[in-house]
Amino acid sequence: MSVALLIFHLLVLAVAPIFLIGIINRIKSIWAGRRGPKLYQSWFDLTRLLRKTPVYSQATSWLFPFAPYFVLATTITAGLIAPVVPGFAVIAFLGDLVLFAYILAFGRIPLMLSALDTGSAFEGMGASREATYSALLEPVLLLSIGTLGCLNNTMSFQDLVSGGSLSGFDLAIRVTIAFALFVVLLIESSRVPADDPATHLELTMVHEVMVLDHSGPELAAVQYSAAMKMTVFAMVIAAVVNPFPVGDGGAIAVLSMGSSLVLIVGLAGAVGLIESLTARLRFRALPLLILAAFLAVVIALVAVVARQGGIQ
Amino acid sequence: MDFMLFGLLTFVLGSVLSLIVPGNRTRVLINLVCQAVACGFVLTKTIPVLFGGENLTGFMQWSYPVNRIDLRLDPLSAFFLTFSLPMTFLGSVYAVGYLAQDIRGPRHVGTHFALLSAVQISFLIVYTVQNAFAFLVGWEIAALSAWLLVIWNHRDQKIRFAGFNYLISTHLSLLFLVAAVMILHGETNSFQFSDYQQFLSTPGFRRSLAFVLLMTSFGLKSAFFPFHTWLPRAHSAAPAHVSALMSGVIHKAGLFGMLKFILLVGKPDPWMGWYLLVVSAASAFIGVLYTITQRDIKRLLGYSSTENVGIAGMGFGLGCIGLSMNQPVLVALGFGGGILHILNHALFKCLLFYGAGSIYRFTHTIDLEKLGGLIKVMRWTAPLFLLGSLASAAMPTLNGFVSEFLIYFGLFQSSPTLGAARLPLLLAAALLALVGGLSALSITRAFGLIFLGVPRDPHHTDPSAKENSFMLVPMAILLVGIVLIGLLPWLGLIIVSEPTALLLNLTGSLAKPLKEFVPVTLLESLTLVSVILMGIFAVLTGLRFALLPSCQRRHVTWGCGYTRPNTRMQYTGSSFSHPMTTVFRDLLRYLRRESLPKGPFPADGKLETHCVDSVEYSVFNGLQAGEHFVAAILRHVPETSRASMGFGLAALIVLVVIVIVK
Repeated sequence: MSVALLIFHLLVLAVAPIFLIGIINRIKSIWAGRRGPKLYQSWFDLTRLLRKTPVYSQATSWLFPFAPYFVLATTITAGLIAPVVPGFAVIAFLGDLVLFAYILAFGRIPLMLSALDTGSAFEGMGASREATYSALLEPVLLLSIGTLGCLNNTMSFQDLVSGGSLSGFDLAIRVTIAFALFVVLLIESSRVPADDPATHLELTMVHEVMVLDHSGPELAAVQYSAAMKMTVFAMVIAAVVNPFPVGDGGAIAVLSMGSSLVLIVGLAGAVGLIESLTARLRFRALPLLILAAFLAVVIALVAVVARQGGIQ
Repeated sequence: MDFMLFGLLTFVLGSVLSLIVPGNRTRVLINLVCQAVACGFVLTKTIPVLFGGENLTGFMQWSYPVNRIDLRLDPLSAFFLTFSLPMTFLGSVYAVGYLAQDIRGPRHVGTHFALLSAVQISFLIVYTVQNAFAFLVGWEIAALSAWLLVIWNHRDQKIRFAGFNYLISTHLSLLFLVAAVMILHGETNSFQFSDYQQFLSTPGFRRSLAFVLLMTSFGLKSAFFPFHTWLPRAHSAAPAHVSALMSGVIHKAGLFGMLKFILLVGKPDPWMGWYLLVVSAASAFIGVLYTITQRDIKRLLGYSSTENVGIAGMGFGLGCIGLSMNQPVLVALGFGGGILHILNHALFKCLLFYGAGSIYRFTHTIDLEKLGGLIKVMRWTAPLFLLGSLASAAMPTLNGFVSEFLIYFGLFQSSPTLGAARLPLLLAAALLALVGGLSALSITRAFGLIFLGVPRDPHHTDPSAKENSFMLVPMAILLVGIVLIGLLPWLGLIIVSEPTALLLNLTGSLAKPLKEFVPVTLLESLTLVSVILMGIFAVLTGLRFALLPSCQRRHVTWGCGYTRPNTRMQYTGSSFSHPMTTVFRDLLRYLRRESLPKGPFPADGKLETHCVDSVEYSVFNGLQAGEHFVAAILRHVPETSRASMGFGLAALIVLVVIVIVK
């Protein structure tokens, strides 16, 4: 059974990034009254980029060609730690949730550095924004995972979402955490309302402006890892709200995998809907959105501790 | 304890010889040889103790009022000696490269090296004596020699000021320490630490007072918030290796003092642990927040020291909470992580300061806004500095992560027996995460501005400059330590296992060795993930360079259609940190000097912004306001001897009344 889960996990990690982008774009086009590109269009985009000869900026150093692959490597590693279904992750040990957050943080640094490597003010601006928002998101991410750990009394990523009883209270906590993680997902993967991937003005971009000087295979690596990062967060959220822990396998495991898949697709749909319906926030308002997510988690944490008899 | 006498004498011999023999090269050589011999010899004694050998004890007779100085080398002292001595030696080796010009010149360099030996002597004293009086003497030797080392370039008024500032702060710390020792001596009529144990282990008002005084003193020494203001000044003024030693090694004595007295306290009151945790968390946060605003690399690194002692202190706070709540797992993880972080911080912070020194020697500036593009000329320093900064941002596979991981592991303990304490502990973990994110921003900014892009100021590129191997080798050695602990976390755990065991023993019957609380499989998983990460990276880059087309052509950086960018058009450090500083604008204070162009024929305008330390600013402002206030009152007081006598008499009467009423 665990082999099947392993294959499923790797498949989701590798293939879902392509389809997630496709689903989001499809929903946006439907909303705009267009037919839209194929669901797996980004596969063609990526392979086209892989065939191209890259052009580097004159200012860049030896660091530049390596950075995108390091980013991709960290994202894959984080994806191996994060569960898709409650109760199973490829790499799991006590405290892996801390490592998960830090590995993702590790992946951001080379990307920001390669942005600064080009000596461009635009790319520096993007790096600065990325650094700011990701630093502010870090506590939200860790505290949400920590709260789930408190709820299930565990310190491993795969168990903390395998939550035994499904009482109304548990569900409320999970939904709150899922909301916070969804905010993390939106901002980390540079979607509206934090950033607009479709924008054409360098001054207003966050992620896209960092990679202005990447081209060819390097650009492909950056784009694929950005999509994969979104997938990883979607996986975590799916695992948090998925009501069927895999347990010993059998039919329930299949059900669990299925519901995780549905949830991931649903999340992509939600991202697409938000992108179609809302305008992006001003940069100054973003910290407030992050604060809202943080407060939601704090409330959940207080509730968990109080419920377990900590606070009389 | 004869080894200590031998070590002490060899250090003294080294410093005396380096003062009297002729010729700078001979002085340096003799001093380094003596330091190496002494360090090697002391290490052969401390390393067995660190890994579980028997404690070494001894005593020295001394004249009245001290009478007898007991010496003891327990695992905690052994831990501090084992990293302090060789790292100070490495600093001395680095000094050979950093002071190369002085060594060639007419100036007597022997004094500098003699002072470095004096610092080593102070370590031997502070970390082994069991007598408060001798402890204070050792403390003072360290403070004075560090001060003299800081003002090595004393012809510069700014450096003298920074040195003076440091001298005063370190003596304020001494003042608190003396006050605490006075309480302890008053209660026990003894200078022996062992006599303090009974008094310190019984709860009461005086114990709490002594605890607060001691923690304030040690906090000043280690530059905890809000006593950190002297540190960035001193660090930016001192020669690079002195900053490195102060930040990484000398000021760790404060943390040693904390641990030493926590051991004597035994079972702290609950508030003590929370107090430590809150103060340390504030230090970590404020420290890292200021790193993102600094222009001067060494000031930046100085603030980062405040951050890192804060992180270690969070570990200690967690450990104390564990002691008072009888939760050995918190004790193990808190103190284990905290102690390991001391070592880790020493490793990467020394490396970073050495890097800053090399940059200074290369470009004659350490102003971030004037640097850039150094990665292309400083081929060795750049990767060393990069790995050091990544370690300081606690990135996995490097050592900083291991100790922070242990502390996180402790903060995340979710066992319901902890009750409501879980809430503040998890919030502390969230704060630590924010600190991690901020420090990632900070190192990206620092490394990006110094090494990447193109040079921002052509005046600071010296084509004849070369990297000096005396400066590179110490950095490379430190890097080996950083990578080893990072890739093999159990190594770090073994190093801190015995010192932590001392604290774990305080939990009484529940005591178990550290490895019971941190399963080996867990640490192996950390290694495994590092290997997987590096493996995937290697495979990806290998595939890419083997199969895909590589870069054939270079082009100017995309400038939105503008094709003639110049070096001043790169992003600046203050712009880089601007989004973050607007979020925390209430905690930062900017001084703004501007003369904007005006009128139809404007002259050159200029704008300067400086982020000043709010604490220092408020202290100076407060002092000034106080002075004005006193001066205003004094204006109304007649300057005659009758008036003075009258006031004196009044004060006496008040005192007598107070005494009688009591």
